[in-house]
Amino acid sequence: MGLRELYERCHDRVQFLSVYIREAHPVDGWWLGKGPLSRLMKLAGMKARTDVYDPATIEERREVAGSCARSLEYGIPTLVDEMDDAVNRAYAAWPTRLYLVGADGRVAYAGGIGPWGLKPAELGDAIETYLAGAEPETA
Amino acid sequence: MDTIKDRGEATRWQQEHDVRAPRVGDEVPDFELSDAAGANPVRLSGFQGVTPVALVFGSFT
Repeated sequence: MGLRELYERCHDRVQFLSVYIREAHPVDGWWLGKGPLSRLMKLAGMKARTDVYDPATIEERREVAGSCARSLEYGIPTLVDEMDDAVNRAYAAWPTRLYLVGADGRVAYAGGIGPWGLKPAELGDAIETYLAGAEPETA
Repeated sequence: MDTIKDRGEATRWQQEHDVRAPRVGDEVPDFELSDAAGANPVRLSGFQGVTPVALVFGSFT
């Protein structure tokens, strides 16, 4: 199950927020644009880009974040981390990561570090478990 | 945080920050961020007592 399917299945019961953080593999960083991983990504139809530079200003970051949101078309509201990367650092989120925050403000699910630890299906299971536990008991 | 240049830098950054990342049961670090237009700020704690929140962190690459 992908993020899009998870969002479509659960967004009426859970608030989804996408947080755009520092680029994972920009042209001016740990670039994977010429490697076999890039070819695999294209073959798999992944929408991740290989021609993006790491934004140096908040204006550039917002522009790339907007392009990313439009391209991925998840429908999830996108927020943009500030240039101090404070939120990214607080959640150890780079390069990509999933969390579920309960209505009590505590972590209900902390996913692994992406990309290999990014498991939308696992988050889906956590959402169902959380919601089942949050339902009022019936006599 | 500077642009990460290679796998070694990535591993060091992750090891340094992951030990402080919130775990199941921890109170989450609150934040307020705006959208891609620099508008419509959203505060995470604003959902407290209202609804659970799924956070999806990522970038374009």
